[in-house]
Amino acid sequence: MNRDQSRKVGSAMVVGGGIAGMQAALDLAESGIKVYLIDNKPAIGGVMSQLDKTFPTNDCAMCIMAPRLVAIGRHKDIEVITLADIEKIDGGPGNFRITLNKKARYVDEATCTGCGTCVSNCPTSNRVQPVQKEKIELQPEFKEKVIEIVESNKNRDGPLMPILQQINSAFNYLPENTLNYISQETGYPLAHILRIATFYSAFSIVPRGKHIVNVCMGTTCYVRGSERLMERFSDLLKVKPEETTPDMMYTLKGVRCIGCCGLAPAVMVGDTVFGKVTIKDVPDILSKYKKTA
Amino acid sequence: MAKLTIDELRKKREEARKGIYLRQGEFKGKIIVHMGTCGVAAGARQIVSAFMEEIEESGRKDVMLTTSGCAGLCSREPMATVETLNTPPVKYIDLTPDKVKKIFKTHIMEGNIAAEYAIGIGSERGG
Amino acid sequence: MAVRRIDLMLCTGTGCVAGGAFRIKDTIENEITKYGLQNEVSVVITGCNGSCGQGPLMVVQPDGIFYGWLKPEDIPFLVQEHFLKGRPVKRLMFVPLERKEPVPLMSNIPFFQKQMLIVLRNKGIIDPEKIDEYIARDGYTAIEKVLPLMKPDEVIEEIMRSGLRGRGGAGFPTGRKWKVCSDERKFPKYIIGNCDEGDPGAYMDRSLFESDPHSVIEGMTIAAYAIGASRGYIYVRTEYPLAIRRMQIALSQARDYGLLGKKILGSDFDFDVEIREGSGAFVCGEETSLIHSIEGKSPEPRQRPPFPAQIGIWGCPTVINNVETLATVPVIINRGADWFSKIGTATSKGTKIFSLVGKINNTGLIEVPMGIALREIIYEIGGGIPKNKKFKAVQTGGPSGGCIPNNLIGLPIDYESLTKSGSMMGSGGMIVMDEDTCMVDVAKFFIQFTNDESCGKCTACRDGSEALLEVLTRISEGEGKEGDVEFLEELGLAIKDASMCGLGTTLPNPILSTVRYFKDEYEAHIREKQCPARVCKKLIKYYVDPDRCVGCLLCVKTCPVSAIKGELKYIHIIDQSLCTKCGQCLEICPPRIAAVTKLTGKEARELQSLPGPIPVAEWKKTKSASKGDFRFTPYREETDREHRGDNEVP
Repeated sequence: MNRDQSRKVGSAMVVGGGIAGMQAALDLAESGIKVYLIDNKPAIGGVMSQLDKTFPTNDCAMCIMAPRLVAIGRHKDIEVITLADIEKIDGGPGNFRITLNKKARYVDEATCTGCGTCVSNCPTSNRVQPVQKEKIELQPEFKEKVIEIVESNKNRDGPLMPILQQINSAFNYLPENTLNYISQETGYPLAHILRIATFYSAFSIVPRGKHIVNVCMGTTCYVRGSERLMERFSDLLKVKPEETTPDMMYTLKGVRCIGCCGLAPAVMVGDTVFGKVTIKDVPDILSKYKKTA
Repeated sequence: MAKLTIDELRKKREEARKGIYLRQGEFKGKIIVHMGTCGVAAGARQIVSAFMEEIEESGRKDVMLTTSGCAGLCSREPMATVETLNTPPVKYIDLTPDKVKKIFKTHIMEGNIAAEYAIGIGSERGG
Repeated sequence: MAVRRIDLMLCTGTGCVAGGAFRIKDTIENEITKYGLQNEVSVVITGCNGSCGQGPLMVVQPDGIFYGWLKPEDIPFLVQEHFLKGRPVKRLMFVPLERKEPVPLMSNIPFFQKQMLIVLRNKGIIDPEKIDEYIARDGYTAIEKVLPLMKPDEVIEEIMRSGLRGRGGAGFPTGRKWKVCSDERKFPKYIIGNCDEGDPGAYMDRSLFESDPHSVIEGMTIAAYAIGASRGYIYVRTEYPLAIRRMQIALSQARDYGLLGKKILGSDFDFDVEIREGSGAFVCGEETSLIHSIEGKSPEPRQRPPFPAQIGIWGCPTVINNVETLATVPVIINRGADWFSKIGTATSKGTKIFSLVGKINNTGLIEVPMGIALREIIYEIGGGIPKNKKFKAVQTGGPSGGCIPNNLIGLPIDYESLTKSGSMMGSGGMIVMDEDTCMVDVAKFFIQFTNDESCGKCTACRDGSEALLEVLTRISEGEGKEGDVEFLEELGLAIKDASMCGLGTTLPNPILSTVRYFKDEYEAHIREKQCPARVCKKLIKYYVDPDRCVGCLLCVKTCPVSAIKGELKYIHIIDQSLCTKCGQCLEICPPRIAAVTKLTGKEARELQSLPGPIPVAEWKKTKSASKGDFRFTPYREETDREHRGDNEVP
């Protein structure tokens, strides 16, 4: 190994732009050394940028990282090289010579503001890559209905929402296998379907009870004491809000205003609305549905 | 159903108006049939039907037919009060379907009081 | 068409249906048939009448007699007396609170008197499931006028001159929006009716769909003609099943008549509408987010400009109007922009529907001219606050709005004055609050709402609301610190600046307005650790007043956690260590006894419960013997002591 340190170079390379690499780069640069920070991803940040909280302090990940990102961006002695792999390392300590393979990205980094518009407009990025070659078999209890729903909506503009809504109302939830099937049939990536399915409060990806008890938590109902109704339902059904009874009969849910403010506080079971509900009425409402159970 | 043209839509509107005229609140005449126990016993139901037939036949959409309680003159039932715009109400007594025909013609259609069946002009106040 | 004598306008809005309106309809029909009146009397089901507090209700036409709070068992008597014998039944009529006499005529009820119906012109008059009845009430005359006689530009010009502004909340001039879209040269274009009425406490759009769906269809058709669109969507909340059903019926009827579809009314204009449902996400009311939702993308708002009128759904120019705005359009076309612009104030024209709800006597939907004073709405139309409580504030604009306090009760209601007072028009919810409402709790409620509904795209909104909620929760639990209020204000203003869509920029409003007008309440929570309205659970205690308790066991049986100890004729005692403060004991205690009370602040901290069960009679005796200064050994709970160790009993 070449131990000739007579021609030391005042620069260092940090490989990997995660939180550790970023801190290292900053520390080096602060000590007056020119730093090359390289990463094979299109941007620095690493895994931490995908985290919400960090263990064990539950600190916000972005809050820790963001100042460092800014500092690196502004530091005159740090040069960030992204989308690059190391090909070859020559030389020795104090005097390395490194060859990088920098991939093309066709975006001018100097002028890009990172608005993301190119991503959403890219005609090829949203197309699903057929990973699963064989056709997904639906469970027999869902099969007929799901196929019918998907077939009848497939060719509409924006078919995803109507399909999910109809399946959700047919089974009270979205069975996982069905989502795979929808993905295969419509071409939406499964990740996207899951994102939609978990965004809306009307959808559920876990099975729910036969009767969904929606306690209105709109302002009017709240002012008129719907919170106590919720507690009473919770006591009687022995479940917490957003949970389902073990016999799969009831799911208790808080809902954002069902528009029956004149009858506050209101409760909606299935599509039936009960108005001016008092704590005393709660057992009666539930007993109405017991019979049909 | 065939698609409508503008003229057909207008025709439809005229037709449909007949269906909801009771709610429009534009009335020129008002007939009140008194239907207390005494009136009903004396045959006020027939009188109501008779008036309804008349209204239907005439095609008038500005005549309101309502019922009310006993007018107090039980011996002369069936009775009815007829009122047209800007004139005092007139009470008619001892009605029969034939008399109804005449009263409707002279009072509602022509605007003259059918004096031979009337007992009085004006209405008692209150109640 | 056969002549009828009486039309019974039975309200079947969601509210009245919940009260059993369809059961009443069946009973009436049975009774009518029993007396052979079926050819003379017809039962017409109408959409929401607006006076939802009186439901189920019915208006008898042509007399205009108003019956409220109907029950099936009253019907046989009513049919016999009124429809057969012609004697209106006083017992079932509406009795205003300030009067003893019932008011028979709908037109004399103050709730209806003060209103001015433009959008809701057909409410309670037509059967929403019959297109003929809408046509009879001059329905589709506007299309009749527009299609052959007016050029698209003339329609836009007319709407611009009328001064109509968006009824969804922001109040953008409708004509201008149409103009921008019609100037775009990209085709096809789209129109979207926004009925994603997410604001809790507002339900005018639902009511509009339930009572007069065709007026929305007509308005949409005119808008489509004006901007050159051939397709339309109606985006409606899935929480409104009845509204969706009625709109579907209306759409298929309009298609049957050729009022939607190809070559409408023999012209060259094609237009059709499709219903899309939301799925319970508040942010979808925001226009760009709504578009994403229909497209099946993740429903997050995007940066504007470009506005949807330039680049909207499927990348095409799109006008998004609130359905209330659209329902106003036919009336403007029929009666002219000049007539419309005479109603209202200088900047806000026409009428607006409000849902007047909360702690108010006459709850319901009201349509009033812009510029009406808040006082008129609350005291004359609304009939004041129940149980003679004091009016405290009215919350307008939903989670984006603010609270308007008592001293601004003369405020004229229009877009500008509401914004100036720190609130906003919003979709028109008016939630009245009385002295029993805690403003800190209300602010917390709304921030909880927006925190839940924030889509998570902008940090300011997502994390900012979280931080606001944390501080508010702290305050409401009696852990508030000096400086918290200032922090709330500062952070609130920062969120306003840094968020992208309407949800984020308005989310601090409930805090900012309550801090502005009710700072003393915040300070009471922080300094005195007391909740003046006795709402915040951590700051109150339930207490059975021994002087009033009769030992009836009602509260003992009701308590879900068995925290109340007592036997018959013994004074009941609440075990504070078990009490979950659910308030059921207070509700169950008969009003003439009213032994259960709530304590807060110092009172609650120094509460001394009775040491053990004492018979009611004995308590009265000892009390009179000791002339009132009888003292019990204080009874303190373990958990309680931990909380305030410094506050040891001497």
